[in-house]
Amino acid sequence: MDFDLQSWITIAAFAGGGLCMGLGAIGAAIGEGFTASQASTAISRNPSLSGDILKSMLMGQAIAESASIFALVVAMLLLFSNFSADTWLMVYVLISSGLCMGFGAIGAGVGAGFPAGAACKGLAHQPAAGSRLTTNMLIGSAVCQTPAIFALVTAFILLFTDFTGRPVSPTWAAIIGAGLASGLGAIGAGIGSGLAAESGCEGIARQPEAVSPVTNVMLLGQAVTQTTAIYGLLVSFILIFKIVPATEALAPAMALLGAGICMGLGAIGPGIGEGLTARDAVRWIARKEKAIADITRVMLVGQAVSESTGIYALVVALVLIFVV
Amino acid sequence: MQELGKIHQLIIPFFGHDLTFNLEVILMTWIVIFILIAFGILINLKKNILPGPFQVVGELLIKTFSDLAEESLGEELAKRYSPMICALFMFLLISNWLGILPHLEEPTKDLNTTLGLGLMGTFFIAHFEGIRVKGLKNYLKEYTEPFIPMIPLNIIGELANVVSISFRLFGNIMGGSIIILVVSFLVYSIALPPFLNIFFGLFVGTIQAFVFTMLTTVYISLKVR
Repeated sequence: MDFDLQSWITIAAFAGGGLCMGLGAIGAAIGEGFTASQASTAISRNPSLSGDILKSMLMGQAIAESASIFALVVAMLLLFSNFSADTWLMVYVLISSGLCMGFGAIGAGVGAGFPAGAACKGLAHQPAAGSRLTTNMLIGSAVCQTPAIFALVTAFILLFTDFTGRPVSPTWAAIIGAGLASGLGAIGAGIGSGLAAESGCEGIARQPEAVSPVTNVMLLGQAVTQTTAIYGLLVSFILIFKIVPATEALAPAMALLGAGICMGLGAIGPGIGEGLTARDAVRWIARKEKAIADITRVMLVGQAVSESTGIYALVVALVLIFVV
Repeated sequence: MQELGKIHQLIIPFFGHDLTFNLEVILMTWIVIFILIAFGILINLKKNILPGPFQVVGELLIKTFSDLAEESLGEELAKRYSPMICALFMFLLISNWLGILPHLEEPTKDLNTTLGLGLMGTFFIAHFEGIRVKGLKNYLKEYTEPFIPMIPLNIIGELANVVSISFRLFGNIMGGSIIILVVSFLVYSIALPPFLNIFFGLFVGTIQAFVFTMLTTVYISLKVR
């Protein structure tokens, strides 16, 4: 069977939309399930508060779902917009933006479930701190969405950049690489910043008067955790906007694709690792507020060391793009 | 949808190079600056022991950020830099909130703004203070830790700080405005856009302004200790 360009573009839009929503559904579902499980535990501890806990659970789940809703928006756009172009690159753009948002929604969905669960559990222990807990949960899970927002930015920039006139080979590899760098790169950062926010909620429930240092260090830890996702975004931008000379050889194309995969996969580990560091730093600051300066410093240095593997990935990706 | 990714630029040739000015961003930045100046004048018009509404907000901001600066920088440096830190937060806050008004856009949506602010705080001020407080020799010695072959990676790590802090703010604000634009387009601007504006404009904007300010403070404090 022979297809013309327009049918290939339609096929790619459908495939991209399907991948986007399919992958994007994974994370939020896990996160929301975790929240509900913690809410059940909380209600069994303190049945008189079941109304408040249910409210808190639903609020947390609503935020955890937003990453999936981003994926839904991109999938709808892919399915219902009429994409027409006279370049074969459009086929790769549609698949890549779907993959990018699909992978990008996984981490934030899982991550945002942790603080919501901890908030429910904390509410059962410490009903008086309810409003502080809710505020902290909202802030923490909103920051968890940052990597998903980065993936969304990359997906939209891919969709709306004008690729006409760019050589099909090796630009196709750059496009797929850009999607994978941002998409895969968002997984670790989303989960990691969720871990940091979880212990923030737990800490406030344990020590309600320590709310401002706990929230501050939590935000700091989350921000540093997301650094590797930002490297992913950076590599995506370079891959999208760098004009590469046309060549039929496969090696330059594979270098660009490899750069994206390298940065995407390389960002997963540091994201989770830095999240673990931030989680326990925040947890112990809530219990021992006096040691805040020392704990924060150790947390930042530890995160920097854990991040060095992400920086290696960034260096290799940049070498692949600019040197090879 | 067509306005997505469109930038009004003024390109001036300059000795063989093209100087590019993003006119909208410059205009929006000046609007933010005028709002802040007006806010400052309003606070100072009626100074009283019983503070008026503007004075209360001003005192709250200054107290919060001078405390924050003192906590991480120590008393002597905090005196010098807490005005800068407070001003940075107010500038970013108004910048991030500007997009909720029709026809106005966030200056922070442009990478040039955030990169400029990131270079100022995380690069120039942090390294200048690092050299001034610790001396050039101790400052340079830090790059050889934990052992000498790590020098290039330490340098890349320093540059990565600037990149990460500015891309974080840029990506969040840009992402928020894209989502608002696309969702408004998909639902024909019915019902949803105000809530999106509250979440991405006011809420995420405030958090990211605070995160940027705090990270700048922490990066400076890491260099001087």
